[in-house]
Amino acid sequence: MFEHVAPELFNGLILGGFYAVVAIGLSLIMNLTGTVNMAHGSFLTLGGYLAFTLVARGTSFWVALLIAPLLTVIVGIAVERSMMVPLYRRDPVYSLLLTFGLSLMAEEAFRLIWGSRGLPFSPPPELAGGITLGFMQFPTFRLFIVVVLAVALGGLALFLLRTRFGLRLRAAVQDTEMIAALGTNTQILYMVNFGLGIFLAGLAGVLAAVMFQLSPTTGNQLLMPAFVTVIVGGMGSLYGALAGGILIGLAISLVTLYIPAASEVAMYILMAIVLLVRPRGLFGEEGIFG
Amino acid sequence: MRGNLIASAIVVVLLIVAPYLAPLIHLDISILSEVLIMAVAAMSVNLMLGYTGMLAFGNAAFFGLGAYGVGLSIKYYDVHFIVAILIGIVAAVIGALIIGPFLLRRRGIYFALLMVAFGQVFYFIAYRFTDVTGGEDGMNFPRPYFGVGAWHVTLKDQSFYYLMLVIFVAVLVAMWYLIRSPFGRTLIAIRQNELRVRYLGLNTDRFIFVALLISASMAGLAGALYSLLIMFAFPLMLDWHQSGDFILMVILGGAGTLWGPLIGSIVYVVGKDIISTITPAWQIFLGGLFVACVLAFPKGLLGTTLDLIGKRRTPLEEELSVVGSLESSQAK
Amino acid sequence: MKDPSLTRERFIQGTAAGAASLAFGVPAFVPRRSEAADMVIIGVAEPYSGVYAAYGESETRGAQAAIDAWNKKGGVMGRKVAMSKEDEQSDPGVGVQKARKLVNQDKAVALMGTVSSAVSLSITGAANALGTLFIDSGGHTDDVTGKSCKWNTFRVCHSTWMETHATGSTLAHKFGKKWYLITPDYAFGHALSTGYQDVAAKIGATIVHEDLTPLGTTDFSPYLTKVLPAKPDVLLILPQGDDFINCVKQANQFGILKKIAAGGPQVELEAVWALPPEARVGFWGMEWYYKGTTVFGAGNTVAQQWVAEYRKKYGTPPTARSFFGYTAMDRILWGINEAKSTDSVKISKVLEGAHFQSPLLDTTAFFRKEDHQLMWPMWTGTIRPNGTPEDKYDIFDLIDKQPALAIEQTVTEKAAVCKMNYPS
Repeated sequence: MFEHVAPELFNGLILGGFYAVVAIGLSLIMNLTGTVNMAHGSFLTLGGYLAFTLVARGTSFWVALLIAPLLTVIVGIAVERSMMVPLYRRDPVYSLLLTFGLSLMAEEAFRLIWGSRGLPFSPPPELAGGITLGFMQFPTFRLFIVVVLAVALGGLALFLLRTRFGLRLRAAVQDTEMIAALGTNTQILYMVNFGLGIFLAGLAGVLAAVMFQLSPTTGNQLLMPAFVTVIVGGMGSLYGALAGGILIGLAISLVTLYIPAASEVAMYILMAIVLLVRPRGLFGEEGIFG
Repeated sequence: MRGNLIASAIVVVLLIVAPYLAPLIHLDISILSEVLIMAVAAMSVNLMLGYTGMLAFGNAAFFGLGAYGVGLSIKYYDVHFIVAILIGIVAAVIGALIIGPFLLRRRGIYFALLMVAFGQVFYFIAYRFTDVTGGEDGMNFPRPYFGVGAWHVTLKDQSFYYLMLVIFVAVLVAMWYLIRSPFGRTLIAIRQNELRVRYLGLNTDRFIFVALLISASMAGLAGALYSLLIMFAFPLMLDWHQSGDFILMVILGGAGTLWGPLIGSIVYVVGKDIISTITPAWQIFLGGLFVACVLAFPKGLLGTTLDLIGKRRTPLEEELSVVGSLESSQAK
Repeated sequence: MKDPSLTRERFIQGTAAGAASLAFGVPAFVPRRSEAADMVIIGVAEPYSGVYAAYGESETRGAQAAIDAWNKKGGVMGRKVAMSKEDEQSDPGVGVQKARKLVNQDKAVALMGTVSSAVSLSITGAANALGTLFIDSGGHTDDVTGKSCKWNTFRVCHSTWMETHATGSTLAHKFGKKWYLITPDYAFGHALSTGYQDVAAKIGATIVHEDLTPLGTTDFSPYLTKVLPAKPDVLLILPQGDDFINCVKQANQFGILKKIAAGGPQVELEAVWALPPEARVGFWGMEWYYKGTTVFGAGNTVAQQWVAEYRKKYGTPPTARSFFGYTAMDRILWGINEAKSTDSVKISKVLEGAHFQSPLLDTTAFFRKEDHQLMWPMWTGTIRPNGTPEDKYDIFDLIDKQPALAIEQTVTEKAAVCKMNYPS
């Protein structure tokens, strides 16, 4: 029995890591500006497609892994500056609808540019093999994912906790007006914050494109679990998004092991329970949305 | 007031003659029926979102329950038209009775996400129990006779449409009375500032719950009618994307206005039908409509038009006007 | 002094009229297809948006080829043929509305199309209410020729039952009789599972384990890690579309595909071309292939030319979907011509039971009278990772061919569920 459970938990950890990274990106954006980014999945997919195109044109996978998210950030910031800034002061329903509309447009745009069929995206040869755990082979790429995500999150933590800019960002989440009054350019804060969130999305997108598949709907499949993660972990808390992601990943993998039929619904039931019992989530702060 | 009545009368007349105008411009009568049905669904969302100020992002669940109520009762019990619709509405209301108490505990975006979560659970149930619901293949069934006992008639395209028109007008009039009633005005007060209403000694939870039940019954009615229109029920009717479509229609037309849902439904349903005939990339236009609407017409077509002509409102209408009030200062 | 309320009223009325005319008037500017009153219009409802767009496109291309071929011969009953296309968006409600639009507004005399089973079922119902012929080119659910069969509905592609029975016996024969099933937990998956269980019972194979994967599963690792310990001979991968790609990719990443045989009811070329080369393995059903003497016979220059022309026009070879679309349209037009009428009852009567030789097959085929299923063979084979030096798209090796009667349910079995009620 244990030999079934252990690899399963590890898989759950990896899946949870994915959810956590996407959820942290969502959270960053939500915390500072109140924007519910329904297009987050589209940025994920865009990252995957850009990486695929770069690799198809001869770039090495490692370079693409870095460049594709950066390119995605450029697109993201263009969108943010042009369309989201007016909505920052308004009720979240507007940004929700705007980004929902954008995600529809993006999905169709992907289809027009890259076709509606999935594209074959495989890991580079160095990462393609597996590591034997007992009788079963464990894909190297999945371990690679863990490393990449850990590095990304570590970098984010360093940035937020140890730099002046990061300090200002954290302060702005608490009280934007005050920090503006103290002379910080809040527009730059919004922009960089959004860029950070999108970078994480793009990065996750490249990894997802290899681990799952690359099609116009790749990102959207990860979006709902990411929202659930944000709710469970606690809106307003990045630690919560991380913990929530891992928790959900593990929970889903355990449920899949014992009651497979319920695994998809389990996520929603978990969310409903959390919302009823402790609406702020595990680590959330009271009063953000109530 | 007189202006309102005349404008309303004009719209109703247009709707009556629509079946004769539509083929001239390459539209099928069944699309007109769909417009009215979706308008009813949009009105159900409008009641919650526009008047009560609740982010109802899960009305597709009630819509779908209405549809499956109809489908299952016709397929397994061979009931008549009217009975099928009543069963559909009851199914939707039962759904609301089950999830309502959970939803009531929260507000704002939490309310919305809880609704989505429960809606998805219904979706998975419909999807998984293939033997009963047909699963993702859906369920087809014939359209039963309309009538009681000896007097019955099979509704074809045109007669079906006029029945939809009658139902739509009835629902619209009911909404009109509802909003002007003390109950309706309490809902609006809740939207403006729920905390204040509570301080006045009213149990806002109960008001919201009743609003939810009414909204669910309207959405269930719409779902029942839609499934009778297409003689089919399928799981995606319960999916949250369907809820998103309803919300789009409400926002497009103008949340908190009486005719807004119809306007939104016309633009959405007819627009989608026409654009999808022209190009398979219709989703870009749909998404673009969302985006344009949110950025440029947050008050919807009707709301913006009313603002543009500087329509002077009576104090009552001022109170009832919701546009811009989605940013209310209600305690969230 | 002007009465302000009167002006406002007029403004409201004007706006309402303007909005209405905008909503209704735009179509007036849409160029109408097929203006000629004496053309025969055939309605084609396919998904042109969404996940199935590639399949819908292939089916339409095949249908267009059939129209071109008939028009070259002078059309049907002396009139030219044209196609009226609508995007059913894989949405059953939209499918019904578009079917009505095609028949009522575009004056289509017959309908064909669909990829998603749900849409084929919903259009079957709508077409029946309209009294119009509908040939389901690409929806596989057994119900279309089973409990939801209608006198005016015919189906070209193989049923789900045929797919499982074509592959099942060959899989047992080649690889072994201990099967592990990964089944998507929805209608299509359930139908496949039932089919394979039937085959297993008939040939003495055992299903050592079956895992039902819920809707929306993107990560199959929980199921894949259990496969090898169960020591099966064959892993049957039943998910389709994007799920299929995920599952095979991940099975490959877990090294399963190197250790045991994998297989399933069918693959579609459009899906295989999307798999990375190392995941292009396994033994699968193939409904039609653009190369091979077992498909359209040795020396069939007509077929080869058809394939070459298609390829030149569209850049990629025709797929099974192209064949479905071609055959559906071809049979509709033949039916009209043969019945010398556009009356759907007459066309249906003429179509059922009529054997015909398709230029793209080496055996004759026919729509069975009892359930309107096209009876034609199905092939099985393996995927070749990288195509051939001349043709990177040629990634399938045909191994076996099963005749229709061996793989579909018998007439008696079908008659128990399918009742054709012709209008009197």
